[in-house]
Amino acid sequence: MSAAIAVSGLVKTFGATRALDGLDLEVTDGEVHGFLGPNGSGKSTTIRVLLGLLRPDSGSVRLLGGDPWHDAVALHRRLAYVPGDVTLWPQITGGEAIDLLGRLRGGLDPARRTELLERFDLDPTKKARSYSKGNRQKVALVAALASDVELLILDEPTSGLDPLMEAVFQEYIREIRDAGRTVLLSSHILAEAEALCDRVSIIRHGRTVQTGSLDELRHLTRTAISVETARPVTGLDGLPGVHDVAARDGRLRFDVDSDRLDDVLRHLTTFGVRALRSAPPTLEELFLRHYGDELAEDGVPVPAMTLSRPGRP
Amino acid sequence: MNPARLALEGTGTLVRFALRRDRIRLPVWIAVAAALVAEQSAGSQAIYDTPAALAAYRATVGASAAAIAFAGPPVGLTSVAGAVAFEISGSVMIVAALMAMFTTGRHSRADEEAGRTELVRSTEAGRHAPLAAAVAVSALGCVATAVAIGAVGTLTGLPAPGSFLLGAGVGACGLVFTGVTAVAAQLSGSTRAAYGLTGAVLGVAFLLRAVGDIEGSGLVWASPIGWAQAVHPFSDDRWWPLLLCVAALGILLVVSVRLLDHRDLGAGLLSGRPGAPAAGRLLATPLGLAVRLQRAALLGWAVSLVVLGAVYGSMGDTVESLFQDNPAAQAFLPGASGAGLVEAYLATIFSIDALLAAAFAVSSVLRARAEESAGRVEPVLAAATSRSAWLRSHVTVALLGSALLVVASGGATAAVRAASSGNAGSFGRLFAASLAYVPAVWALAGVAVAAVGVVPRAAAAVAWGTVGYVVVVSVFAPGLNWPRWVGDLSPFSWTPLVPVESWTTAAAAGLAAAVMALLAIGFGAFGRRDLTTG
Repeated sequence: MSAAIAVSGLVKTFGATRALDGLDLEVTDGEVHGFLGPNGSGKSTTIRVLLGLLRPDSGSVRLLGGDPWHDAVALHRRLAYVPGDVTLWPQITGGEAIDLLGRLRGGLDPARRTELLERFDLDPTKKARSYSKGNRQKVALVAALASDVELLILDEPTSGLDPLMEAVFQEYIREIRDAGRTVLLSSHILAEAEALCDRVSIIRHGRTVQTGSLDELRHLTRTAISVETARPVTGLDGLPGVHDVAARDGRLRFDVDSDRLDDVLRHLTTFGVRALRSAPPTLEELFLRHYGDELAEDGVPVPAMTLSRPGRP
Repeated sequence: MNPARLALEGTGTLVRFALRRDRIRLPVWIAVAAALVAEQSAGSQAIYDTPAALAAYRATVGASAAAIAFAGPPVGLTSVAGAVAFEISGSVMIVAALMAMFTTGRHSRADEEAGRTELVRSTEAGRHAPLAAAVAVSALGCVATAVAIGAVGTLTGLPAPGSFLLGAGVGACGLVFTGVTAVAAQLSGSTRAAYGLTGAVLGVAFLLRAVGDIEGSGLVWASPIGWAQAVHPFSDDRWWPLLLCVAALGILLVVSVRLLDHRDLGAGLLSGRPGAPAAGRLLATPLGLAVRLQRAALLGWAVSLVVLGAVYGSMGDTVESLFQDNPAAQAFLPGASGAGLVEAYLATIFSIDALLAAAFAVSSVLRARAEESAGRVEPVLAAATSRSAWLRSHVTVALLGSALLVVASGGATAAVRAASSGNAGSFGRLFAASLAYVPAVWALAGVAVAAVGVVPRAAAAVAWGTVGYVVVVSVFAPGLNWPRWVGDLSPFSWTPLVPVESWTTAAAAGLAAAVMALLAIGFGAFGRRDLTTG
């Protein structure tokens, strides 16, 4: 499998601000790749470098086998982009903007355009100045989804959409993935990324802090266990990888590093397991693990869930 | 509290906030207006220092329809102070009108369009408060301009009462256009359209008084600029015409408040029809988009310049009769013929038309920067459009559009002049003469392109600053004691005054080379830099 996007050691500064500080990102052909980080972490800057709108200071950037700065026009025929904050020409209608963007990209499928307008419930005759944020977002989404392109670059594409439209969006992204096309989905809506992405990259302060499939990431963290046994469990605290043991209502709750799960389960079975629930970490928990210290610095009461696991089950 | 008071709740806070936002802009406008008066005052007093010089000036100006068309009524020319008022009042009144338009529009429709008014109105601020604050800030600016002009006039040695009356006239003109903008901001759904509407009213007002002053007819009383100039500072010193301006402001404010009460926030009264559900053939390329975005503005400019060209062309006969009826002018300009004066008059008209076309060219190039700044260029460049193709599209509209304006206004002037003089053969020669200014117009567009490429954030200031400099050099410098090189920097100074002087290939080639160099700088820099928004 080749890489649709390959970024390594990307640095971009604006004056004294170091927006990207050695960022790495690899998106394989045919996958939906989640690009996760809070506001200001460098997601949009990375995407604007990928689109050739900003010039990198250093590092290597390859997009669909080309250089995004020098080969911009040829590459852009093969991709569609949805910005997070869509600004349109106030005096041009949504329908006109969709056609314009599609034509500038090399044409769009009229039947699919009609279908998308209907599914997204968008009135194409309104001038852009009268659209709400959600409707402006729909204009960019329809223009992108109606184009037959290899790669979709979506920068928080669903901000401003209601849950119904969010569901429609997710359905289209799955369809695109099934068709073997590639999607880079930047988001801070973690449930969305969890539902759609094959792999994710988490970035912080312009650097990639973790990348991999959701399963791989889960493996790096802890699983929450809640167990009820015939005899009281002893010796659990001494096992490597076990954290935050607590007993309540005859149940024992604790977190265990995912790579120690096997040892711990063997130990438990010797006490006669009657009931057992285990919960893999959610993406939100994975994410907060990398940002927990920041929340703590800001005085936000952080969750046990970041550094140690909450008793979810 | 009564409802009217409640509707104005919060106005004071908004005024203070608006003054803070305009703490640079407003003083700059006022300083420009005061500086124009100060410079003219000092210059005229140096040049017309003898009664003979003043008498010569009086005679030539009285016979010059072009001077009257652009300045105002030729009254009070028996004193140097009167000459200063004649020379400068029209220009400063336009500055004041523009200051009022941009200040009022910026704090009313522009805020509303950006969604800021919604936020403000969600607080305790009353329904009329944002508009009242915009009007109040603009009115404060007008009053400050009036005082500043009175002060600089007095300080440069003009009689104090006349100086303050001149200032009051300028301020009163600004007040009327504060009211006009307040109404336009209610009628149109966008800031751009509100400025277009106000600009059209300003253009018509200027034209009405120009024709009225040349003919010496009552038409001047149909124009607010005519009212403001009717104070005749340093001669009749009349205060009562100012009442017309104040009354007009009052009526316009009542109308604007009525309109505001009858519309929804964010809506205009002139917009809201549904548009096309799909794009036409035009909207398929960057050039098509640029044409679509700019065609309304280009059409407005074209209609204005054709009307202006035709009206000024029709004044040719008056130029001759003004000269023939003026023995003093004939004495001071021996050998001058009526026909020669008409040619000189037309040369002035062509250069003014070209300055207006250059203003369009600059605003058209800056449209590219506005698109970039608002983030609207990103989706276009994220599609298969190269940077140079995108910038080229706006520059093409600017260059061809401004050339079209020169052709249209020159053609209208030449056609009307040929028809009214009964000399159909002169059309070709006059029309060709008007085209001589195209390279100079393009040079100003070139400066704007270079600025967009090299200093995007300062592009508007650089480009409009250059236009302002060229206008000052072209319109005022001949009457001022400035060193020669100051004028020589202007591309309009390189252009021969056709049809009086003859067209030269060298001048055109030199300007063309400058245009090419400026475009190369602009495109080169734009291709290498980051896009910047905000």
